[in-house]
Amino acid sequence: MNDMTFKASTGPSMGVELELQLVRAHDYDLAHEAGDLLVRLGKRKLKGEVKPEITQSMIELNTSVHLRHAGLRAELEEMREAVAADAGMLNLRVSGGGAHPFHDWNDRRIYQTERFEAFLERYGYLAKQFTVFGQHVHLGCPDGDAAVYLVHVLTRYVPHFIALSAASPFYQGRDTSFQSSRLTAISAFPLAGHMPFVPDWEAFVGYFRSMQEYGVAASMKDFYWDIRPKPEYGTVEIRVFDTPLSVARAAQLAAYAQAIAAWHLAERPRQPAQEAYLVNGFNRFEACRFGYRGEMIDAWERRKKMIGEDILDTVAMVMPHARHLECAEALAQLAGDVRRDHCDADWLRARLSQAGSLADVVRAASDRWAAAD
Amino acid sequence: MLEPFWFVPDWPPALGELVAFGTLLLAGLIGGEGLHRLLSLPRITGYVLAGIALGPECLGVVRAPLLDESRLIVDLALGLIMFELGARFDAAWFARNRWLFIAALGESLGAFFAIYAGLLWLGYTPLLAGCAAAVGTATSPAVVLLVAHEQRASGQITERMLLFTAVNCATAFVALMLFLPLLHLEHRADWRSALLHPMYLLFGAALLGYLACRLMLWLARWLGKREDRQFVLLVAAVILLVGLARAVEVTVVVALLSFGMLARNLDRDHVLVPLQFGYAGQLLFVVLFVITGASLDFSLLGPAAAVAAAFIVLRFLGKAAAILAFARLSGLRPGGAGLLSVALLPMSGLAVIMVWDTAVLFPSFGMELAALVLSAVAILELFGPLATQAALRLAGEAGAEPPK
Repeated sequence: MNDMTFKASTGPSMGVELELQLVRAHDYDLAHEAGDLLVRLGKRKLKGEVKPEITQSMIELNTSVHLRHAGLRAELEEMREAVAADAGMLNLRVSGGGAHPFHDWNDRRIYQTERFEAFLERYGYLAKQFTVFGQHVHLGCPDGDAAVYLVHVLTRYVPHFIALSAASPFYQGRDTSFQSSRLTAISAFPLAGHMPFVPDWEAFVGYFRSMQEYGVAASMKDFYWDIRPKPEYGTVEIRVFDTPLSVARAAQLAAYAQAIAAWHLAERPRQPAQEAYLVNGFNRFEACRFGYRGEMIDAWERRKKMIGEDILDTVAMVMPHARHLECAEALAQLAGDVRRDHCDADWLRARLSQAGSLADVVRAASDRWAAAD
Repeated sequence: MLEPFWFVPDWPPALGELVAFGTLLLAGLIGGEGLHRLLSLPRITGYVLAGIALGPECLGVVRAPLLDESRLIVDLALGLIMFELGARFDAAWFARNRWLFIAALGESLGAFFAIYAGLLWLGYTPLLAGCAAAVGTATSPAVVLLVAHEQRASGQITERMLLFTAVNCATAFVALMLFLPLLHLEHRADWRSALLHPMYLLFGAALLGYLACRLMLWLARWLGKREDRQFVLLVAAVILLVGLARAVEVTVVVALLSFGMLARNLDRDHVLVPLQFGYAGQLLFVVLFVITGASLDFSLLGPAAAVAAAFIVLRFLGKAAAILAFARLSGLRPGGAGLLSVALLPMSGLAVIMVWDTAVLFPSFGMELAALVLSAVAILELFGPLATQAALRLAGEAGAEPPK
């Protein structure tokens, strides 16, 4: 675990981890049956993996490594169907979304494995409040220096990733007024935030070793950064996405990140800049609170822009790479949603005003997850 | 000349029903909470013990007139429970998991035939054995629901326990109705009333349940998704349904159960909000179990203890065999079958109602049935909640106590 050799990835590969909500059919509150579901899913032969997460109310889908959007999408679809079939046998519903709208965190039960026991012991109520659901996208890097470079330049796009995936407007029974309330739960952890501004992999390993010596962190897993290098996979992992409401969206988000990474690694259009981290907190808040309609500061060009507008400009910029990676259509769909001002958070709010209760919101979200779109 | 006005009443004063009722509630509360804190027993067990202590056979605080006057509360409590249980009958789950339906039906039939065969072997008449077996098929809805509620239980064992209970209650009533024609013929009724009466009892009740469901859905749509208002609506619907069912002499419990089942499965636009029992529910359930405790009849336990024990063991084996047989096919995790069988042990007020419903129609047969069944009920009234609580805890499905 503490071997910090960076395993080289070939090509602009990607993989997705998706944390999903398990809900009960009769009241749409979170269920506690991840264990039963995983026993069933364990008997299936899937390319990727389905894993337990911190509470009994959550499972995590891990895809295998993909070079193309279509393959990733197909695998996610296959996993979605497998999970839906087994969950149906147990009368469980599965839903996307970054947070459950009305669960009581006091009710959460921690999955009985050692790491999670230690987690609960250390973090107390934060551990239970951590019942939030994110999508992590892994992007392959040729070496550690490229990974450090990519972490620094991708920070500029953190508001994009948040706004495009935002799907947690409700938390603990209230409309938070945020498009994504999930990231607030993560910010409470001591090692949340971002990677320090180090120039290369060697410097990063030096930083990590001294954090180990101080006793602040035992392994890379202790860092809850928005974007972090993952040397044993040979990837950079983006962790700010809310789990979207559909598999299609999850694959589109991964393709968008892949195209941006491919562009930067191929053309190096920007050099890492410490200023990116000065404005990061502001950008991140604007994206969580207002989504596409928030403002972001471009540290390189030193100007303010609407997040939605910047996404559209970026999609146009990376299009040549997207065509090469065969994900132009996926990006066009994302851009179309930005133009129409469609996002999952607003979709959830619309369900509330239409149906009247948060249980209905969860039902609608689980119906949407169950429908192949 | 002015007469002195003597304002102190005669000693001792005549204590009215209110004092008795308050004592009942207080004793239930203290018994339930005390046993729970001392021995970690289910609160229900404490309520029942308080009821036994206050009942006619011990202190005599609760006597027949009070039992009658608290009837409204008992009916309402049972009504809410039957409704909620019916609402756990999720037809969509059965559609996705056919083996589950077969398992649920198997569980009911397993219990029925195990008891039936056992009692025949012990020399009881087929009619008596059949009616007793029908009564034994049902698990106590009140106990499983309230223990699950108290334990904040959630998981596959909990869900299946409630689902199977809904199915075995329905099966129990259908089975009892199948024996009714035989009872009628034995008591020299003509064959027409022998056939039509059970159908009237069952279908009349189901029809009333359907009408209550339509009324409830219609008004719930108008009220909107407000838990407080919908709770009042439900209480009104339940009281009305019990009253009407009694007025037209159909089976009250079947009316309530079908009301719940239909409400869950016909609510296509999802106008109903999930039911929360809340404080009002707590109050009703304390009364329900104290009264149940006070009505328990231990006088028959001496001579019938062996038969009662045989009844309980046969019932358990019948249920467990069927659950075990279909465990894997219906997607139950390994080890779950045993826990589910134990969780389904409780028998309670529902069995008493089934016996007395029969006794109203056929008094002497009813007494024989009571002698056979009610001792087992008395035993399970005390140990059933413990069994369910232990099973849910062992299954890891009990939640933490809510913060004080």
